[in-house]
Amino acid sequence: MSANDSAESFFSRHQFLIYRLFSLSGLIPVGAFLVVHLVTNASVLAGPGTFQSRVDMIHSLGPLLVPIEWAFIFLPMLFHAAVGFAIIAGGLPNVGSYPYVGNVRYTLQRATGMIAFAFIIWHVIQLHWMGAPLGGGKFDPHHASSSAAVALQPIGVTILYAIGVLSAVFHLSNGLWTIGITWGLWTSPAAMRRASWVSVIVGLLLGGAGLGALAGMRSVDVEQARVIEDRMDEVKRMLEGQAPAAEPTVRGPATGSPADSPALPVSSTGA
Amino acid sequence: MIQSATDHSMIHPDGDGDSHDQGAGQRFVHVRVLRQDAPGQESYWERHAVPYEANMNVISVLQRIAALARAEDGRQVPPVAWDCNCLEEVCGSCTMLVNGRTRMACTALVDKLLVENPEEIELRPMSKFPVVRDLVVDRSRLFRALERVKAWVPVDGSYDQGPGPRISPEDQEDAYPLSTCMSCGCCLEACPQYTKIEVVRREGEGEEEFAARRKAAFDHGFIGAHAISQAVLFNGHPTGKMIADERLQSLTAIGGIQMCGNAQNCVAVCPKHIPLTRSIARAGRAATVWAIRKIFDR
Repeated sequence: MSANDSAESFFSRHQFLIYRLFSLSGLIPVGAFLVVHLVTNASVLAGPGTFQSRVDMIHSLGPLLVPIEWAFIFLPMLFHAAVGFAIIAGGLPNVGSYPYVGNVRYTLQRATGMIAFAFIIWHVIQLHWMGAPLGGGKFDPHHASSSAAVALQPIGVTILYAIGVLSAVFHLSNGLWTIGITWGLWTSPAAMRRASWVSVIVGLLLGGAGLGALAGMRSVDVEQARVIEDRMDEVKRMLEGQAPAAEPTVRGPATGSPADSPALPVSSTGA
Repeated sequence: MIQSATDHSMIHPDGDGDSHDQGAGQRFVHVRVLRQDAPGQESYWERHAVPYEANMNVISVLQRIAALARAEDGRQVPPVAWDCNCLEEVCGSCTMLVNGRTRMACTALVDKLLVENPEEIELRPMSKFPVVRDLVVDRSRLFRALERVKAWVPVDGSYDQGPGPRISPEDQEDAYPLSTCMSCGCCLEACPQYTKIEVVRREGEGEEEFAARRKAAFDHGFIGAHAISQAVLFNGHPTGKMIADERLQSLTAIGGIQMCGNAQNCVAVCPKHIPLTRSIARAGRAATVWAIRKIFDR
């Protein structure tokens, strides 16, 4: 009882701060990460080699990658989601009675937030090495394009990705608009209208990058990509002074050699 | 569809005559009212029919219903209770849900409502406040929110303090729309973030004890757009701003401005067209500055 009370009073006393941190976390770092993530992925449109070099750049962080992932991506995202779900639980959407544009955006903001959260959990399990024990972890950072292409090949997976990516993009772009109001950046109705256009443009650009990345991954020629990636891997090893034949030390399930048939459908994990 | 010209002798031209005609040319307005006999009791629907007259509003319909004191099926029923006062949309007392949307009953004109839905007019009490009886609700929480943000200019004293500071015409023009708020509660009713708080008196609970418990419950809930806008109004007033920090303290306390979800229904339904979202954004900006000051200036 008293523990419950003190927990309640903690959230009560710091509600303003928590909600403002929630608002901020949606932009920095979570929103910023989404932009970097989608733009990086869209680089696959320039060929598997380009995407591989972007991935290599990220993985050059080495042992720092995991703490950076947790500090700047996973934990802020979990915080944003936890507060977000509490906010959704406290609201009472009424778009049926009041079908105004702002109210539709309010409702969509909550719907896309929940869709994006479910999608991100599935996405992380499916591709991130942490998902390997659950039958996922399909992304191999040494074979970036080819492993992603294989994972995204089933049409159902692609459709779910399109829905998930577009939900996240809407949530961020519309969130930009609400952040501006929450913090008092744009205050007049005219300024809010202008800001709406900014968020529409940001949304279209990001949505284009996201869908472009998805289409790019699907259109990768897996065998050809494997050859390019293996060659790049070889060069990296030589530069690091390692024997080219050394066993790969990837943490993910780097199963299958380039000779394996990549066109086989990948089981779409336990989602 | 061919309309029979004979039925329309005493009917305004845009109505669908058939559904309102009863007997010899007499036309009726059908009304469905969500009634409740006392706080905490079950609500129930009741149908009424009153003879159509030109230029009726919902209040005059309710007056006819009270005069008839009969439901449409002929049963004798107690008159429907409702609140109203000025009948010109400045007092804010007759707010109710007319055809599902919050508005003032006095400016809800029957002819326009029948264009919207020729079959009937639906009346419900506001859903965000406890029902006292039928269409009468208890809006104490609305007024408590004004107390929370000290929506007044503190000039009480025992001696003459002289004239107040001058206010530029620009500032007056800016503040005037905010000062037209009549505490009708439409902004709260339409707000998806503002949810009902109904505190029921416990058995054997004293009046003061109950009032304190209810106040505490109100003070944990969202203050609402009206109170935020009033805080902005008085924080912009040269004398009112003397307690600006106290208002900002309230705006950033639990249930404060952070509860706003930016649905912007408040500004869409406000009968006085008060720029409530501008007030909310201005209060948001003031709260941002105030929070930073609070962290770094202490």
